[in-house]
Amino acid sequence: MTVQHKPNTEELVSIAEMVWSSYLDPDGVRPLVVDPAPGWGLGPTDVVATVAISGAWDGRVLLSFSPPAARRAAAALLAIAEVDDVGEGDVADAVGELANIIGGSVKSLMPQPTVLSLPAVHTGAFPDLGGEVCRVTGTWDGEPVSVAVHEVAVYVGVSRTGETSQ
Amino acid sequence: MRALVIDDSRAMRLILARIARQLGFDVVEAGNGQEALDRLEELDTVPELALIDWNMPVMNGLEFVSAVRRDTKYKAMTLMMVTTESEQSQIVRALAAGAHEYVIKPFTPDAIVEKLALLGLVKNGVQV
Amino acid sequence: MTLTAGEFAYISGLVRRDAAIVLEPGKEYLVEARLMPLARQTGAATVSEFVTRAQQRPEPDVHRRIVDALTTNETSFFRDGEPFTAMTGMVLPELLTSRSTTRHLRVWSAACSSGQEAYTLAMQLHDNLPHGWTYEILGTDISTEVLARAEAGRYSQLEVNRGLPAAALVKHFERVGSHWQVSPNLRKNVSFRRLNLAAALPALGQFDVIFLRNVLIYFDVATKRAVLERVGSLLKPDGWLFLGSAETTIGIDDRFDRVVTGRTSAYRLRPAGTRNGAATLGMAGKG
Repeated sequence: MTVQHKPNTEELVSIAEMVWSSYLDPDGVRPLVVDPAPGWGLGPTDVVATVAISGAWDGRVLLSFSPPAARRAAAALLAIAEVDDVGEGDVADAVGELANIIGGSVKSLMPQPTVLSLPAVHTGAFPDLGGEVCRVTGTWDGEPVSVAVHEVAVYVGVSRTGETSQ
Repeated sequence: MRALVIDDSRAMRLILARIARQLGFDVVEAGNGQEALDRLEELDTVPELALIDWNMPVMNGLEFVSAVRRDTKYKAMTLMMVTTESEQSQIVRALAAGAHEYVIKPFTPDAIVEKLALLGLVKNGVQV
Repeated sequence: MTLTAGEFAYISGLVRRDAAIVLEPGKEYLVEARLMPLARQTGAATVSEFVTRAQQRPEPDVHRRIVDALTTNETSFFRDGEPFTAMTGMVLPELLTSRSTTRHLRVWSAACSSGQEAYTLAMQLHDNLPHGWTYEILGTDISTEVLARAEAGRYSQLEVNRGLPAAALVKHFERVGSHWQVSPNLRKNVSFRRLNLAAALPALGQFDVIFLRNVLIYFDVATKRAVLERVGSLLKPDGWLFLGSAETTIGIDDRFDRVVTGRTSAYRLRPAGTRNGAATLGMAGKG
């Protein structure tokens, strides 16, 4: 039961850059700066949005922002002029949608058919899921950001029938 | 002219509504295909344009497109899907169901404007 | 931070000499933006620093990359729409009649950049030529970097989202990872080569249609004339020339008639011996 293809870091970088240039940095002046080993990492107040991909391939995509980066992302996406005017709901909506878009792009690289779950957004360090396939870390305006793809472990002896629901 | 924006994500509805308003459209929003059909019933005129997400609860975008294309009342409405679904087979399905155009997320505002120009709904950056 | 007059003069002199491109003062922002990635790649902190180094230690490879960076034009599929409407509405129907014996078309996309124009034309010819017809499309550009991209025919999702009808996307492209590649049956009819329009042209044969869009604007009048002269000599007597929407041959080269069609114009060679500079009536195409 081999997976034909797993996204690599390069493809994930390409997806992240597409999302940044479409929504968060359209003028190309505040890009996501990819840094494989950033000087600091995300912490317990991170905003993390996850989407699950299930079907012919099972996995999760996690998008993590530091709180200031999350607010900036919401301000950019929702065209809120003052970052101070960004509310919690705005952050959840914005980061959730970004995870949805990134998840959709990752999904399209994987064997089909699969479906994408609704995004779940929460605050706090995410427990180590294991099964990390690739990760992009970087900074945006000096604030840490990361995108990670995890494969959900399949237990030996339990088979999943890949039904076509569509 | 009026645009119907259908997406279960508030953030995406905001983004699309903003683009449509900047082009001069009045905007009506809905959170899924069924809500959109309900809104259409309420309106006194048929919107010229619908921007439709695919994955939504209750009634998804593909089902909405099929429903609308079956009803001659909505013949004049241009249907543009705006979605994360980017597999070739999905785009083919959408076009076969009757969608007139298809934009893959992530998109730049220009992408939408240019596709609207292709469809004759926009000229020189303004609705015709 | 910004380029000094001397640095700007050095760069504009370089591209003028190598590519006959005119960069007037006022275009410093363009030079800055285009050279920034190159500056970073070579470890310079600013474009100024990069240019100073290039001046002090001239290297042919660095020069080529500078010229490449400044001659790359933004392009997209079905750019501006109108000329392609003219292709299907006026040009191709006419060629289907006039080439009915040879049933072969030759098209040149001059200044093709990353290839979208050439592939757009390939899509149109593929879709509109009857069975039994063949076509070849040549794309040329002065920049080797963009030509490599054009050859590959692989475009990002953002690029295929722009101006390309979804129906054309699914018909003529295949997904490759997160990119989309022009299908092999189109690519086999499209070839690319490096060519400097401001220099003598190699023997390329004659073309039924030439697209020379948004490149003349970079040249001074003398070079414009020379380029049109050379390009015109590769156009079949009844062939069609398309320029950029803001460009015209009028006032530059009186060998061409302008044909107005829809909201755009195309140019054709006047019959030999009728160079009189008089404007002719436009022929309205079906658009």
